[in-house]
Amino acid sequence: MSVGDRARDALARLVDASAAERILISIASLVLAIAVGTVLILVAGRMTTCAPSSAVYYFNVGFCYDPVLVFDRLFLGALGDPLRGGWSPDGQFAITMRETTLLIFTGLSVAMAFRAGIFNIGTQGQMVVGGLAAALGTLWASPFLSGVTGTLVLVPFGILVGAVFGGLYGAIPGLLKAYAEANEVITTIMLNFIATGVTLYLVSDVFKDPNSPANQTVPLPDYAQFPALLFGARQDFSLYALFFGVVTLFALYYVLEHTSFGYDVRTSGIQPEAAEYGGVDAAKTIVSSFALSGALGGVAGALYVTMVIGKFQSGVPAYGFDGITVSILAGNNPLGVGFAALLFGVLKSGTTAVQFATDVPPQLVGVLRGLIILFVAMPEFFRLIGRRLVKPTDQSKTIATDGGESNE
Amino acid sequence: MEVSPMSEENTTTLFGREFGEFSSRTTAVVAAIVALAATFAAGIAFPDSIAGTLTDILTSEGTLSSALRLSVPIALAALGGIFAEKSGVINIGLEGLLIISAFTAIYVTDITGGVWIGFVGGVVASVLLALLFAIVVIEFRADQIIAGLAVWLIALGLAPFASQVIYGRPNSPSVDTPGTIAIPVLSDIPFFGALFDASPTVYLMFAAVALSWYVLNRTTFGRWVRASGENPKALDTAGVDVSRIRYAAVLLSGVLAGMGGAALSLDLGQFTGNGPTMVNGKGFIAIVAYLFGNYNPVGAFFSTLLFAGLDAMQTVLQLQGIGLPRQLIRIIPFVMVIVVLAFVGRTRIPAAAGEHYDTGDDNR
Repeated sequence: MSVGDRARDALARLVDASAAERILISIASLVLAIAVGTVLILVAGRMTTCAPSSAVYYFNVGFCYDPVLVFDRLFLGALGDPLRGGWSPDGQFAITMRETTLLIFTGLSVAMAFRAGIFNIGTQGQMVVGGLAAALGTLWASPFLSGVTGTLVLVPFGILVGAVFGGLYGAIPGLLKAYAEANEVITTIMLNFIATGVTLYLVSDVFKDPNSPANQTVPLPDYAQFPALLFGARQDFSLYALFFGVVTLFALYYVLEHTSFGYDVRTSGIQPEAAEYGGVDAAKTIVSSFALSGALGGVAGALYVTMVIGKFQSGVPAYGFDGITVSILAGNNPLGVGFAALLFGVLKSGTTAVQFATDVPPQLVGVLRGLIILFVAMPEFFRLIGRRLVKPTDQSKTIATDGGESNE
Repeated sequence: MEVSPMSEENTTTLFGREFGEFSSRTTAVVAAIVALAATFAAGIAFPDSIAGTLTDILTSEGTLSSALRLSVPIALAALGGIFAEKSGVINIGLEGLLIISAFTAIYVTDITGGVWIGFVGGVVASVLLALLFAIVVIEFRADQIIAGLAVWLIALGLAPFASQVIYGRPNSPSVDTPGTIAIPVLSDIPFFGALFDASPTVYLMFAAVALSWYVLNRTTFGRWVRASGENPKALDTAGVDVSRIRYAAVLLSGVLAGMGGAALSLDLGQFTGNGPTMVNGKGFIAIVAYLFGNYNPVGAFFSTLLFAGLDAMQTVLQLQGIGLPRQLIRIIPFVMVIVVLAFVGRTRIPAAAGEHYDTGDDNR
């Protein structure tokens, strides 16, 4: 039994749950993760030291960290405090939208592969490669153009370059899996390390900005960067990019559900033997799914470069790994990725708000992320609780046969 | 290292499909030995060339001793992975077990002052996390890969979080190390003396490799573990509780990985929690090591030594400032893993690995 089979098993189990049940499980996982997080904050608050005046008291016990404040900052802070008045379109909310936009692409990248029965942990590496390629491509092309035409040509060009190189880098584990039967979980993890190492070398040596001590390329000219629309200029967010992300969500949904390529992908994801019997070229499907997945990761890298930092710099944040969480939480459904990306956009942006308002270490959000995945992975646990709460009645099992979209 | 794709294909067609895997692995090993011999020959003939420097590095006692030190966490985690996967539970969370035990070992040593108390503390933390994983996977039938990933992510957040809470920064302060034990006379042997002048954790690794091989291949428990991964139904029919065997195997992987993580941080006397933490992918390399070693503890140990040797070499190469830039030398082990997988990709994993086993008598 290969890793592909295992991933397919995972898929089948996630598909097993009906859409409504899956949404319920996702929400319950989030709530449970917050509950465990609360306990963790309280325990951590007992283990650290602080002035008695800054402590918060519950049941006459003093705690250095206040979970209520933490989750208030994490969620409301991330939305720019809509309840307090003085909401600004250029504040924390724009950062949340920026994170959401990037997570939509990395989430779609992972979801795309997952639907084909492939576990792509390499989105991070594909994003890094795509980002560097987009920066170098745009820098190469930018002297030929300027002004509004420059923006109109260079921004799509950068995204295209990012997609192509991300796609090529994604095709490597695809080829290794299709023709050498190499375990993609391991090859993609290794390729992440390799991408980080090689790009670090390139931007610290060959393509280094001579005027900067940091390992980065020369900054892109302003006209080669994503223009802001309505809000978010100060926070490096562009509404155009979010529109692009939402359009991509629906496009991928359409491709997976209503095209013959999507049919091949879904059938090989669920029943590879049947798919092959039905004439699907398994190797070709694996490589093209992996390449498309990598291309989406590459676009995330290109957006990170042209919208967020305006150059390529070593140490790209772990959007690729968050993409795994986003996709798992969304049950690998492209439309669900939109909601899951928003949730994790809030968590990521809220981390800054938490850091600003409290002394709680920001790694807490990493723990929450792990807990959410853990809980989402065990629907059986929630069914058990559900059965305890509600007296078992008729257990009619629903099995979706169309590759993840249950019609309940 | 030159591994010709031609020879691999030839053996596959010559000996047929089922011998293909075995012979490609043999081909890789033979090619590695030939490349090594060629390097030595060139190095002795031209001492001033790069081959000469490589020969110096490869034959130095320092390289062997640092390769052994680097092997400890990887080999122990790989042994743990073998037990879990042989029993039918793929434990991709080894990385997380290493992280949590690396931190806890330092923390307990810091508060108690005893290095070996800290070591036990690290193992306990790892076993607890492995227990959580086992419950989630065996009791609640969670997907093993996703749950393993969650174990990694939880530990990756929790250890630096705890360090930040306790020490105010992601890196711990320095604590005592177990030091080294030198065996008289034997440690004076040139080159191989490194085997007898090492940290106690290195000796522990040797003992664990031998013991794991014995338990897995020569005891009833080992037979049950293998049956639980290959044919759980048969084991069930024979009256052995499959779940119980899997629990035991996963907890054992927690013990072994915990020893690895505790050894990793205690040998350095510090936990570093920045970025991917000090574990930095060792748990994943452990998985590659046991796949390459074909689930044999001794094979896993030697493939670990190969990766650790490469790692030790790149450190020396970096220090000597040889031609290649630092950042590129650092990725050599990762490239090697991919090359190895490309040639030995097809590993026969236990038939029932990754599958939940249902006894069938609880129709829920």
